[in-house]
Amino acid sequence: MAVTGSIDEVRDWILRRHPERQTIDAEENLIQTRLVDSLTFVELVYVVESTTGVEIDFDNIDIQNFQTLATIEKAFFITA
Amino acid sequence: MVPFGRVHDLVSDKAMLARVLSPEEIRLFHSTDEPDIPGIAGRLAAKEAVFKLFHVPDQTLPWRGIEILTADGGWPVVRLTGRAAELARLAAVGHIAVSITHDASCAMAVAFTAPNPDHRSAHGSDRQH
Repeated sequence: MAVTGSIDEVRDWILRRHPERQTIDAEENLIQTRLVDSLTFVELVYVVESTTGVEIDFDNIDIQNFQTLATIEKAFFITA
Repeated sequence: MVPFGRVHDLVSDKAMLARVLSPEEIRLFHSTDEPDIPGIAGRLAAKEAVFKLFHVPDQTLPWRGIEILTADGGWPVVRLTGRAAELARLAAVGHIAVSITHDASCAMAVAFTAPNPDHRSAHGSDRQH
């Protein structure tokens, strides 16, 4: 299934919430650096869903997929 | 702690709100025309405080499984279901009490485990499977 958006849209969404930051490295841990907290995480999942057009089972999320922009891209943006 | 501003973002999108509040909690907050921003913020802060009692790394917060309801007397009560109940059992967390407070622009909450007042079971309190 073709994915509609790109990981850059997720990066931009996070940067809009953190005006103190200009960039986010693809391997930067979003949770440990507090770019994403537990409440933002709910919204982040929502952004990934609307960007990719893929519905995510919110109750069975593998948090490892959301550690970095690279893991998000690999899990949701790169189709086999 | 949850700033009210964060809640304004959430309540503007019903689908998003339904991911952090259970249907019963949503009913609690829609008895008035306007969503109860401080009340929702307090609930979210309490859910996070309860989740932190479980001491689990690499788990997402089971928002809807940690329900913060209201006792007849008006104080908040915790009901755990599903994954939240399982995480509490694994952490040997028994009865949970929460306290919520509000300031001008945010809500804060604290959660603590206490000896089960009813002595029902070593792990039972308000948990439902």
